[in-house]
Amino acid sequence: MNVMPDARVAVVGIGWRHPHYAPVLEQQPAVDFLEVHSENFFGEGGAALAVLEQGRAHYPISLHGVGLSLGSAVGLDAWHLDQLARLVERIDPVRVSDHAAFARGSFQGAMVHAADLLPLPFSTEALDVLCANVGRVQDRLQRPFMVENLSAYLRWKPLADEHHWGESAFFAELVRRTGCSLLVDVNNIYVNALNAQRTDSALDPVQHCRDWLDALPSACVGEIHLAGHCHVSDAHGDIVIDDHGSRVCDAVWSLYRHAIQRFGGVPTLIEWDTDIPALDVLLDEAARARNVGTEVLSGVGA
Amino acid sequence: MTGLAQQQQALLDALFAMPNHDAIKIVAACVVDTGARGLKAYQTNGHMLAQRALAGAYPVVDQLLGDESFGDLARALWHAHPPVCGDVAQWGAALAEFLRASPQLQDEPYLHDVATVEWALHRCATAANRAAELATLVLLTTHDPDRLYLVLAPGCATVQSPWPVVSILNAHLEQAPTLAAVGQQLRDALAQDAVVWRAGLRPRVRAAVLGEPDFLQALLQGKPLGPALDAAPLLDFGSWLPMAVQTGLVLSVVAAETPQ
Repeated sequence: MNVMPDARVAVVGIGWRHPHYAPVLEQQPAVDFLEVHSENFFGEGGAALAVLEQGRAHYPISLHGVGLSLGSAVGLDAWHLDQLARLVERIDPVRVSDHAAFARGSFQGAMVHAADLLPLPFSTEALDVLCANVGRVQDRLQRPFMVENLSAYLRWKPLADEHHWGESAFFAELVRRTGCSLLVDVNNIYVNALNAQRTDSALDPVQHCRDWLDALPSACVGEIHLAGHCHVSDAHGDIVIDDHGSRVCDAVWSLYRHAIQRFGGVPTLIEWDTDIPALDVLLDEAARARNVGTEVLSGVGA
Repeated sequence: MTGLAQQQQALLDALFAMPNHDAIKIVAACVVDTGARGLKAYQTNGHMLAQRALAGAYPVVDQLLGDESFGDLARALWHAHPPVCGDVAQWGAALAEFLRASPQLQDEPYLHDVATVEWALHRCATAANRAAELATLVLLTTHDPDRLYLVLAPGCATVQSPWPVVSILNAHLEQAPTLAAVGQQLRDALAQDAVVWRAGLRPRVRAAVLGEPDFLQALLQGKPLGPALDAAPLLDFGSWLPMAVQTGLVLSVVAAETPQ
């Protein structure tokens, strides 16, 4: 018998990283899905894939990539897309996603990959490239795809004579043209707002983020990411870094509440990638996300 | 080149060029405020990732050099041989040659052989799975060796070295032999050829027995058992085979199709 999920209960998963491979398989905690970085399982065999297949036996798996380079002007790497397609076929994930970023390009005459999530300008040309590449991914995978907004440490100046989109409008147009969904990282929006505040002291980061969320069509969001960030102050200056190395801050929790009010019960992920704590800490964050989401969805404290 | 391509080219140049003063100026002209702090964040992230990724593939080279020198090495390799694909685990294959060519590391001439074995272990870890079919070993008693093929474990590779490369690896990975014993082997110029393979899910390395590298190389080149044995006259196949089967190096035997 199929049991319909209760739409008033938030769907919450955790990022499954190496230190938690064994604890998750042993304890099988009550989370709704596990999310892994696709590239960590690109091998043809071996222990990592065996672990993922064991995890798949107990949980839905969301494949979240960091290396497709969807916004590269030089296009996608066919090898990368082949690896992803093979992994998708092997794991049958519940969702597949990557970032609105670039990393591929030419350096000294050779094709390189910066292994980072480098920011795109919100220009019409970048939107055209992103749409073409997302379309190619969806054609290949033959399934819906999600694109995540970045935390960006550089903001490109608009080029002369070119239409410049607001970030939310840029993503809304991406969804309209490709049929993909958005993976909204609430922490990324907040990190960007904090960094923007360095050059615009009048900016209210939380209000800025609420406006960002409100500018998206409510039906276009397929998943939400929550994570921690850190404030760095050194000889090079001050900056807020999206390091996924701490608990979600109170401001981001309040924005998450707002996001669930706006987008409904979309699946939510707790990400933690540096200074990874004991599994219980991650599960505690997941429980908080479930409580916040469920309160909103059931009309309590909305 | 389009506007987007120029923007992306500028940022990639700024991240990989060394020195990169001009590239930074070009990026600064394209971004809101100077972009210097943000660019530094991306540079730092790349360098940290380089060290983390390289240490994952080369844990023994990391231990031999120490964190600071290994970090310098990772950053130098990052700029000299940037990643070419979006799976950073694929990056670092050039390290052995980079070490061999490094003037600062000529006093540690065994390092590049250690790196070569570690890269073989790293690749071995994700090689395609293969199942053992030990019942096929009976073919060895019924067929002409010129028509038989040994199926080796995933990731099987050999590395020939004039240094005690397997002892160096095991001393750091398994704490045996002792570092003192390895030091004596280095002074004695003990040569060890390494055999790398995966037993189940676990990458393994051991010193090759006499004649084994030539034999395995011939098999890895696709030669049948007979010619492979001819290529390795020093190998004692009768004692090697049970050991190879027991340790998961040999998984099965396949007979070539009889020509019609």
